[in-house]
Amino acid sequence: MKIICLLKFVPDVDSFEYDYEKNVLVRENVKQLLNPDDACALGFALRLKKTNPDIEIEAVTMAPHSVRKFMEDILRRRVDKGTLISDPLFAGSDTLSTSLILGTYLKQTPYDVILTGSQTLDGDTAQVPAQIAEFLRVSYISGITKIDEQSFLQGSPQVEVDTENHTDIYELTFPSLLAVRRESKYRLPFVRFADLESDVSEQLQIIDNHTLNIPPDKIGLKGSPTRVIKTYPQTYEYKEKIIVQNDAEGIETVYCFLKEKGYIK
Amino acid sequence: MKKCLIFLEKEYENFCVSLLKAAEEMYGSHFQSYALSLNADLTQAENFFDEIITVSDEKVRCYDTHSIACVMEELHTLYAFDSILILATHFGRMLAPSLSMRLNTGLVADVTEIKRHPDKIEMIRPAFSGKLLAGIVNTQGNLIMMSIRPGIFLYENAVPKCTNIRNYQPKNISVSQIKHISRKDKPASKDIRESDILISGGGGILEDFDLIDKLAEQLGGMKAASRKVVDSGKADRNIQVGQSGKIVHPRLYIALGIYGALQHVAGLNHVEHIISVNTNKNAPMCSLADIVVEGDAKTFILNLIKRIQQG
Repeated sequence: MKIICLLKFVPDVDSFEYDYEKNVLVRENVKQLLNPDDACALGFALRLKKTNPDIEIEAVTMAPHSVRKFMEDILRRRVDKGTLISDPLFAGSDTLSTSLILGTYLKQTPYDVILTGSQTLDGDTAQVPAQIAEFLRVSYISGITKIDEQSFLQGSPQVEVDTENHTDIYELTFPSLLAVRRESKYRLPFVRFADLESDVSEQLQIIDNHTLNIPPDKIGLKGSPTRVIKTYPQTYEYKEKIIVQNDAEGIETVYCFLKEKGYIK
Repeated sequence: MKKCLIFLEKEYENFCVSLLKAAEEMYGSHFQSYALSLNADLTQAENFFDEIITVSDEKVRCYDTHSIACVMEELHTLYAFDSILILATHFGRMLAPSLSMRLNTGLVADVTEIKRHPDKIEMIRPAFSGKLLAGIVNTQGNLIMMSIRPGIFLYENAVPKCTNIRNYQPKNISVSQIKHISRKDKPASKDIRESDILISGGGGILEDFDLIDKLAEQLGGMKAASRKVVDSGKADRNIQVGQSGKIVHPRLYIALGIYGALQHVAGLNHVEHIISVNTNKNAPMCSLADIVVEGDAKTFILNLIKRIQQG
C-alpha cells in the first residue's frame, strides 16, 4: 500500500512577517513548524507502517527550498520518500493554483490514499484538500478524528467525523483523500537516536515546473484568481469605560448596570 | 439584474438565509436570490428567496461534495449566477472549495465584511489568527464565490417575497465512493449564538470554570469559553467563542479571566455591553469593556451571585 501525506510547513503565527508593499507573505526566514493537523496525518501513517512494514509513505509538500531541513527531519522518522515541489514561479499562488500544482503532481504519481490535515494554522481556509480531491475526482472527507485501522488496511477506511451536533461514521473506498484534525491525537514519532545524523538526501526529490509543465499563466501571483489588494489592521471601537475594584462598591456598580440595562429584572 | 445562489444546508437554514445580507452588501436591495436545497427545512427559508431549487435524486447525497458540486455546476450553466455564497459549516467548508475547483473560480473563505467598489467587490477576511484583515478581489471571470461563518451577517427587516419553488432533475451526476454508516447526536444543547447573555470564561477561571454555570443560571444566560479553556479539555468546542470557535452577538458578554487575544475578540460581533473581569486591567479584553472589574474572577462570581440574590 502506498500512502501519500500532504504536508504544509506553516509560519508560527506569532512570528510571521508580511510584505505590506507587495501584499505577500514572506516565507523565508520565518520560524516555521509542521502544521499540527498534518503532523497527525503523518503520525497515523507512520503508526500503521510500524506494524505493516510494507506500507510505503511519501511526504509531499509545496514550499520554498528553505523547508528542506524540515523535510529531512521528517525522512529521518522512517518516511520512505520526500517530495518538495518548489519553483519561484509558484510564489504567490492562491489556494486554487496551489491545488492545481499539487494535483498535477499527484496525478502523475501512484498512490492508494492521500492523508492530510483538515486545516492549517496560518491560512485556516481548509480549501486545498477539498480542491485537490475534486481535481483528482477521489472521494473526500475532512474533520476526521479517528480512522479505523483494519478497514483502512483493506482499502475501505471507516472514519469518524466530529461536527458541531453529531459524530458520524463514513466509509470511503480507495483512492481517497482523508483530512484529519488534531483532535485525532495521532502523534508524530520521535527521530530514533541512530537516525539523528543519517543522510537522507537520496530520499528527497525536488521538483519544479519543468517536470510539472503547468502553463505559467495558471500559477503564481499571475495565475491566481483571488488577490489580496489591501490589508487592514484590526481595529475595534474602544468605549468609555468604568474601572472598578472587586469589592462591595464594584459589585454594586456592576449590579446597578445590569439592572439599568434590563439584564436583571 | 444580479443573481446570487445560496446553498441551503439542513440544520443551518436560518444562518443560510442570513447570507442574503452579504448579497445585499454586494448588490443593494435589487438582485435575484436563489437557494439550492437537498433536504433542508423549507419553511424556514420560504418568503426570503425569489426561487428555491430543490433536488431530490438519490444519487445526490448530502455528504458527497462531488455530487453536489456537479448539481451546482449544472445550475450555474443554466442560470449564470454572479455569486455563490456558502455557509462555512463543516460541510460548507468541504463543498465550497470543491465547487470552486470544478468551476475554476477563486474562492474566499470566512468573509467577514464586504466593500462595494464601482468596478469590483472587495471581500475582507481575517488573516493570521485575526492579526490582520485582508481585502481580497476575484480578478478572473465574473463569478464571485465566498464562504461565510455563521453569525457574521445578520439579516433583519427582510421584505417578504413570493418564493417560487422548483424541483430540478440533475442530468449528469458523478458520485464519490463514500457511504454514511452511522450517526450519533450530541446531547442537544442550546446554541451559544442564540443567547442574549453570555458568561464566558478564560484562563483566569480555568480551575473554577464550572462555577460559571451558577452565574449563568442567575442571569438566564449561557456559559461560553475561550480557546484556552477548550484546549485544556474543561469545555466542549461547541461553546468556544472566537475565530476558531463561534461568532456570537449577545446583548451582554461577561468575560471572566479572558485576556482577549485577537482570535477571541474576532468572535464578538455587535455585542452591546461587555463586562471584563481580570486581574490585569490592561488586558486587551478590558479595552473593549463598558465596565472593567479589576480582580479575581472566582470572587467576582460569588459576590455578584450573592448581590443578585439579595435583590
